[in-house]
Amino acid sequence: MAQNINMPENIRCSKSHEYIIVEGDAAKVGITKYAADQLGEIVYVELPEVGAKFNKGEVFGTVESVKAASELYMPISGEILELNDDLTSEPELINEDCYNRGWIVKVKNFSREDLNNTMSVEDYNVYIEE
Amino acid sequence: METKELNKTALSEKHIGLNAKMVPFAGWYMPLQYDKITTEHVTVREHVGIFDVTHMGKFKVSGEDAMNLLQRLVPQDVSKMEEGKAVYTQFCNPSGGIIDDLIIYRLQNKNNTYSFLLIVNASNAKKDFDWIITNQNDSRSIKIQNISAENCLIAVQGPDATSVLEELGLPKDQQPKTFYVKETKLHNMDCIVARTGYTGEDGFEILISNDNAGKLWDLLLSKGQKYGIKPIGLAARDTLRLEASLPLHGNDIDETTTPIEAGLGWTVAPDKSDYLGKEILSKQMSQGTSRVFICFKMLSQAIPRKDCELFQDGRVIGDTTSGSIAPYLNCSVGMGYVDKSANTKPGDKIEVLIRNKKYPAEIVKRPFYKRKKR
Repeated sequence: MAQNINMPENIRCSKSHEYIIVEGDAAKVGITKYAADQLGEIVYVELPEVGAKFNKGEVFGTVESVKAASELYMPISGEILELNDDLTSEPELINEDCYNRGWIVKVKNFSREDLNNTMSVEDYNVYIEE
Repeated sequence: METKELNKTALSEKHIGLNAKMVPFAGWYMPLQYDKITTEHVTVREHVGIFDVTHMGKFKVSGEDAMNLLQRLVPQDVSKMEEGKAVYTQFCNPSGGIIDDLIIYRLQNKNNTYSFLLIVNASNAKKDFDWIITNQNDSRSIKIQNISAENCLIAVQGPDATSVLEELGLPKDQQPKTFYVKETKLHNMDCIVARTGYTGEDGFEILISNDNAGKLWDLLLSKGQKYGIKPIGLAARDTLRLEASLPLHGNDIDETTTPIEAGLGWTVAPDKSDYLGKEILSKQMSQGTSRVFICFKMLSQAIPRKDCELFQDGRVIGDTTSGSIAPYLNCSVGMGYVDKSANTKPGDKIEVLIRNKKYPAEIVKRPFYKRKKR
């Protein structure tokens, strides 16, 4: 899929199409370009609260396109450090720039073991081709 | 479902050429969107859009007994329809439940006898056809034809629809009026032009043979260019109909809901002789129903969908049957049924349960969106 050529290099991905980019002690989490394209125009994002703790696989939010709502699954256990408040007024940032301005949450005290169990970009690209 | 098992309309190559996102819908391979859904939606509200709605079921009912049969099948008074008239109505079962909703078009008499065109929902087309056959009572002076496979249906919707048809050689003063139909020619191609639609805008639905459909589609796009015409997919068709508070069979109405409960009492003739469901519908008209259909607007950003519970003063009052963003109104809206004891005046407050959280909403007058008369 051509749309994945611009994925950042240090990215990890989950089977439910969330990505993780580690930035120092925090991990930035969003949805992949592939997922954003599949959903279509995102018109609403429901975010968790700062300080909330999630285990890997738990629902931490929802993104809604015109047609449907899709749940966001935490790809690594951890605690919400920061929310991308810009998404409240500009949810379309996820479609336009999912890896930069369209990130969703930052997580701290996250599980390094969970991170190791996510996919590399190469593996993810194979996964979505299947 | 595999793509190869789906029915394809005579226009499917056109959609693929226009880079549509194609999806299976009611057994058909249909365009979901060509552009952003919200862009398509606004195009229809402000300019004009064309839709391939060939998946809709298309039947012809003709002959001396055609009128009597349709009179028995629907709550509208078909006997009051002059030639060229169209009505929105429903097939009801004996309990008043809606088997399907449809538009009946009375065409010009053929061979001195009745000729009707019926357009029904794609997902119910087979069931509807069987229902008509079952109720025909072996009459010989009636002919029922399923003309779905040989014909396309193209909708042209929006404030500039009349100008686009004028560009195609049908002057405005010769176009059928709202809820009328005309058999005519467009660029020398036979077609049936109806002034009906499912968007809340002025516009037309054009029945044309598969052989000519591609040519008409291309002509509409080229002649409509100066009005900003765009092809519109099923996704925007759904947001347009919801914003106009038009019911969708399978969501807002079905065999367990009656036209009276659904707020469609204006489509039920009060003084009509016997028809299927009459007993229940007459009773509901005079005594009211245990639940009522409401339209509401969200007072927060959350988006309601089908099957959300509705609350008032802490108690459950009903469920949603449709919900989405209303792209032209800049808010989210929903429709559904609530108990008759609930307060349902415009301005009354309710709460909508979305992902286990209650969000405030307000009852509004139906429809959410009404076009301005020009």
